[in-house]
Amino acid sequence: MSYQVDLTNCDREPIHIPGKIQSHGFLIAVNSKSYNISYISQNIESYTGVNATGLLGKNITELEEQLAIASDTASLQQLLNLAKGSKSSDTINPLAIDVKGSNYNLIISHSANDLVLEFEPTKSDLGYDIQKTIGRSVAEILSGKNLSILLQNAAFEIKKIINYDRVMIYKFNEDGHGEVTAEVKNDDLEPFLGLHYPASDIPKQARELYKINLTRIIADVNSESSAIITYEEGAAPLDLTHSVLRAVSPIHIQYLKNMGVESSFSISLIAHGELWGLIACHNYSPRFIDYKSRDASKLIGQILSSALEYRQDEEDSAKLHELGEAANTIADYIKKDTDFTFALTRNKVTIKDVTTATGAALIYDGEINTIGQTPTEGQIADIVEWLKVNMVDTIYNTYRFPEIFPAAKDYSDVASGILSCSLSRELGEMIIWFKPEQVKSITWAGNPEKPVEETADGLLQLSPRKSFDSWTQIVKNTSEKWKHDEITAVLKVREDVIYAINRKANEIRILNERLQLAYDELDTFSYTISHDLRTPLSSIKNYSELLLASNKSLDEQAKKMLDRIIKGTDKMHMLIKEILHYSRVGRAEIETAPIDMGLLLGEIKREVLSALNPENIEFIIGETPSIQGDSVMITQVFTNLINNAVKYSSKSTPSKVKVEGIVRNSEIVYSVSDNGVGIDVNYYNRVFELFKRMDNALEFEGTGVGLAIVKRIVEKHKARIWFESKLGFGTVFYISFKIS
Amino acid sequence: MSSPDILYVEDDEDFAFIMQHAVQEVKDGLTVKIIDNGKDALEQLKQLTEARVKPKLILLDLNLPGLSGLDLVKRIREIPFLKYTPVVFFSTSDNPKDVKASLEFGANAYLTKPAGYLNLVNCVESLYNFWFTKNLNVN
Repeated sequence: MSYQVDLTNCDREPIHIPGKIQSHGFLIAVNSKSYNISYISQNIESYTGVNATGLLGKNITELEEQLAIASDTASLQQLLNLAKGSKSSDTINPLAIDVKGSNYNLIISHSANDLVLEFEPTKSDLGYDIQKTIGRSVAEILSGKNLSILLQNAAFEIKKIINYDRVMIYKFNEDGHGEVTAEVKNDDLEPFLGLHYPASDIPKQARELYKINLTRIIADVNSESSAIITYEEGAAPLDLTHSVLRAVSPIHIQYLKNMGVESSFSISLIAHGELWGLIACHNYSPRFIDYKSRDASKLIGQILSSALEYRQDEEDSAKLHELGEAANTIADYIKKDTDFTFALTRNKVTIKDVTTATGAALIYDGEINTIGQTPTEGQIADIVEWLKVNMVDTIYNTYRFPEIFPAAKDYSDVASGILSCSLSRELGEMIIWFKPEQVKSITWAGNPEKPVEETADGLLQLSPRKSFDSWTQIVKNTSEKWKHDEITAVLKVREDVIYAINRKANEIRILNERLQLAYDELDTFSYTISHDLRTPLSSIKNYSELLLASNKSLDEQAKKMLDRIIKGTDKMHMLIKEILHYSRVGRAEIETAPIDMGLLLGEIKREVLSALNPENIEFIIGETPSIQGDSVMITQVFTNLINNAVKYSSKSTPSKVKVEGIVRNSEIVYSVSDNGVGIDVNYYNRVFELFKRMDNALEFEGTGVGLAIVKRIVEKHKARIWFESKLGFGTVFYISFKIS
Repeated sequence: MSSPDILYVEDDEDFAFIMQHAVQEVKDGLTVKIIDNGKDALEQLKQLTEARVKPKLILLDLNLPGLSGLDLVKRIREIPFLKYTPVVFFSTSDNPKDVKASLEFGANAYLTKPAGYLNLVNCVESLYNFWFTKNLNVN
C-alpha cells in the first residue's frame, strides 16, 4: 500500500489501514472461520524469535505450539471461540497469556473476516494497579460544582493516576477547532491552557476513530513501526480500526515530534453521541501503560462524559429557563398592555432579555425604539433596509455582521452580531438584537494558516508546523455566537407579538365595521328627519297661519302666540335643513377642479350682502389665488365664513370684512377676517362642534351648524382650518390648502 | 253630473284641508274635490269623462298610495278627453329627478309645496291667474 500523505490530504488519509503497528507489541490475525493465520506483524520475531513469514497460513494450533502459548484458563482456540461469540471483545479483554515464558496481555478484536490478536507486554511504566484508586478519583472529579471545575478536577485526577507530564482537557468547538480548557502539568512545562488548535490538527477521520476507540496510546514516537505481512499477494490491508497497536500516521508522529512529545495517551469524551473533546496526555519521554490501566482510564473518561453531558445540559437548561422566563414575562406584558412598544421595551423585562444580547431595537409602527447598546437610529434604519432585502426567513442571525454588511464596521463595537425576527414583511417591521464585538483575539498554538515550510534544499514543503509558540490572531467584527436557546426564545416572543398584533388589527377592523354601521344609521336618521319631521312641521305652520288669516275672533294676545308658534316652526325648519346639509357633506364624494376664487368670492360677497343687507360695511377682497377643490363645497365654506364675518361684525361701525389668499411655500392660506364680537378662546375647541353657539353669538341668528359643515368640507379637502380671535375685537379664520 | 273646478289628489289630510282654504281665499266659490289615492282619482276622472265633463285643473301629489302621481299622469294622458287638461304636481320633494320625470310623463308644471299657509295662498293665486284667467283657451 502506498499513500503519500501531506497536509493537503491528511483529512483523507486512510489511517485505519496503515499496514503497520506500533512496535510495543505484536499482532497476529486469523481467519475467523479457519483460524488460519492471515496477517502477521514482522516484529513477532523480535519478541519470540519465530519468523513471521513462516507462520503465515498456519493454523492457530500450530502457532500455539511454536510460540509455547499457555493460558491459565483455556486454549487459544477456546479463547477465540469465546471472543467470536461475544459482541464486544471488551468483556473478555485482556487475557493474561504466556508466550515463550513471558507474560502478555492478549487483546482480541474483530476485523472484517478476521480476528485480530494483539500481544502487549504486561510490563507497564505505571508501577501499580490503578483500578484500586479509581473509585476515589471518580468521587473527587464529580465533586466539581460546575463544568469548568469538573474538568479541572478530571485533569488533576488523571494526571495523578497515570502520571503523564501533561494532562489537558481539549474541547472541540462547532467548527472542529479545539481549545485547551483545563490543564495539569509538571511545573517546568509551558502552559497550553487557553490555546486554540486548528481543526486540521485532528482531522475528521481521526475524530471518528476517537469515537470508536475510547483510548489511544502512542507509546514511543521514535520507535520504528512494524509492517504487517500477509501471504496473499494484493490482499486488502488489514483493517485496524479496533486495534490497540495501530500504527500512527507519519504526519501525526511528525506533529508530536515537532511539539517535543515522545508519548501520548488520549481518552475520548463523548456527549450526546458526539466527540465532545479529549483528555490529552503528553509525555516528554516514551511511556507505555498497560491495557488494564488504559481500561481504567477509559472508565474515568466514560464517567466524566456522562457527568459532562449532564452538567452541560443542566447549565444549558438553566440558561434556557432564564430566557424562556423573560419571554413569558413579555407575553404577559403584551396581554395586559395594548401599547406594544411600551410592553416590549419599557418594562423591567424587555425584549433584550430573551437573548444574551447587549442591545435590541424594535422597529414597529413607523418608529425605532432601542434598549441597551445599539447602533444609532440612522444606522438601524440602514440595517432594516438591508434586512428587508436579505432576510429570507422570519429569523436571521449572524455573529459576524460587519463581514457581510461592510457599513456595519463603523459600529462593530455594538453590533458585530445581529439576530432579527420579522414581524411584518410588508411593513418592514421587525425586532433586532445586537451583540458587541467580543472575541478580540484567539491564541493559536502556532500559526494555523501556515503549514508550508521551506526545506533545507529551498523547496516549499507541506508539513506539520514546527512552531507551537502561541500565535495570536486578531479576530475582528465577530461577536459571541447566537445560541439555539436564544433563537428559541426569540421565536416564542415573535409568536406572542404576532398573535397580539393580529388581535389588535382584528379589534380595529371590528371597530371600523361598527363605525360604518353607525354612519349608515346616521344617514338613515338624517333622511327620517328631513322627510318625516318636515311634514308635521309644515302642518303646524300651515294651521297657525290659516288660523291667523281666517279666524276673525282672535284677540291680539292669541295672534301674538300664533306668531311665536310660526317663528318656532321656522327655526325648526331651518335646523332640519342644516342637519340635512351637514349629513350630505359627509356622504358626498368630492370632485376637485381648479377654482377661480376671485369669481367665486365676488359672487358670495354679492349674495351675502344682499341677504344680510348690512348698513355700514367695508368689504375687501384681496389676492385670490386659485385653489383645487369641489366648487360647490368651497362655495359653501366661504359663504358660511363670510356670512359669519358680516353677521358678527354688524354692530361695529363701520364693520370691516376682508378675504384674501396668500401663497406660502407649499400651501395657499385663505383668511376671512372681521372686526366683530370675537370668540372666547375658552371655547376654542368647541367652535366647530355641531349646534355649538357661543354666549356672545346668541343675539345673532344662527343654528350652530355652519362651522361644523365648514370643518367637514375642509377635512374632506385634506386642508386645515383654524382661527385667531379676541373678544370684542374680531376674528380671523384661516384655511390652508395644500398645493398638489 | 258636474265636475269640480279643481281635482286635487293628496293623501295628506292636513295639507288637503289647508289647500281647500287657500283656494277659497283666492277665489271664493271655486270648487275643489279632494281624493286621497291614485286609483280612486283615476276612477273619478273616468266617470267624469263618460259624463263629458272635466276639471279645469288637476293637482297631484307625487307620492300617493295605490297609484303614484307619475303613473296617474301617464294614465290621464292616455284618455284623449283629458289630453290637454292642465296637470300640476305639488310635492315636498325638490329633487330635480322628480321634476324631470313628471314633466316627461306629461305634467304641465311641478311645484314644491311652499312652507306656510300664506305662501300657499300666494302660490295658489298665481296658479289661478295662470290657468283660470290667462289661459282659458286650454279648457
